[in-house]
Amino acid sequence: MNKRFKSGLLTSLNPTRYNLERWSYTLHRITGVILALFLIAHIFEIYHVTLGIAGWDQTMAELSNLGVIELIGMWIIAGSALYHGANGLRLILNEVFGLLLGKPRLPEYPYSPLSLGRNQKIAIYVITLIVVALWIWAGLYLLAGLGIVRW
Amino acid sequence: MKIRILRNDGSKQWWQEYSEEPHKGATVLDVLLNIRETQDHTLAFRHSCQMGSCGSCGMVINGKPSLACQTRITELKSETIRIEPLYSYPVIKDLVVDLNDFVNKHRSVKPYIIRKNPQELEEAPMEFRVTSRENMNFIQYDYCIMCGLCVAACPTVALDPQFTGPQALAQAYRYIADPRDEGFQERQPELDTSHGVWRCHFAGSCSFVCPKGVDPAKAIQLLKREILKRKFVRGPRAGAPASVLVQPEKPISNPPKAPPLDFKMGVNQNE
Repeated sequence: MNKRFKSGLLTSLNPTRYNLERWSYTLHRITGVILALFLIAHIFEIYHVTLGIAGWDQTMAELSNLGVIELIGMWIIAGSALYHGANGLRLILNEVFGLLLGKPRLPEYPYSPLSLGRNQKIAIYVITLIVVALWIWAGLYLLAGLGIVRW
Repeated sequence: MKIRILRNDGSKQWWQEYSEEPHKGATVLDVLLNIRETQDHTLAFRHSCQMGSCGSCGMVINGKPSLACQTRITELKSETIRIEPLYSYPVIKDLVVDLNDFVNKHRSVKPYIIRKNPQELEEAPMEFRVTSRENMNFIQYDYCIMCGLCVAACPTVALDPQFTGPQALAQAYRYIADPRDEGFQERQPELDTSHGVWRCHFAGSCSFVCPKGVDPAKAIQLLKREILKRKFVRGPRAGAPASVLVQPEKPISNPPKAPPLDFKMGVNQNE
């Protein structure tokens, strides 16, 4: 890994000392990478369909008997999909429709950029609440699969 | 108080520690000037106006890109202050970074008013009228002092050195939003690319660190909307409304002539 890229990666993924949106950005990158890795694994999984009915049934049987670590992995993937999707909708509102940004105005001291203002913060908090609620629900669903929780 | 500075002599870098007892109300720049005066005259850093207007003294102070002259020691609430050169720029020496790429990207978006008929800029046939409401759409971005903090804070620039960057993109929006400008098509090849406006993923750090309240993050998102609008809704030729050029209410007798502009002024001689 070249030195420039390494220091750039460290700077890029370090949201400390910055704003809430930077944390949101960092989480969006990380969940994006998790989903990309999952997608590769998923393509590998569905490739088994080419092995015929017996091969596919065997893959399905293996996948229906997941251990605790695999279930935690599934839970992380579910959380990543939920966060990446919900935050992606917020970004579409920002980038395509110019919403939640406020109108351009004369800067007045003490400066507080409108694009990182109340509307944006509320949107991020609402997204976080929805994602956390759905993630807990997904966790309970997975625990029900293990028989720990009754569904 | 300990001041830790990331020194660089062009070939290697190292942390050097100094002890200082700054007076109440001292800024980081005051401390640096005192260190250079009394302890180490080899310490290099840029500064000029000492009042947040020139944008020369940008550096990373305790992990956040800031202007040294606008950062008071007391507000840092720390017994040790870590000072580094701005992130994402090549370092020349100590806290002095190379701003060539930054300035070239600024130039690349053509940060000036473009008219289809360039002669109009030399001798305007009529008055260019901008209402105060139209002015409000872009005046915020006129406050940029080109300190480069936004670029140092941007996580995208850190990973993609080809990215145009928040400062240049905000300036591009400033001129595209100006009703007198007709240069959208000229700027589009620079902006509407994977290393242009679409590389920004809205971390908002540029606006967070901006010392003048310019809000480049907003300008970039509005620029994306404007590009989509002109590509898919209004058509690329949509630009200044016809009402921009208006006949003055009272005809000006013997209007003063602007001196001829020397467009070569300030341009790199190698270009």
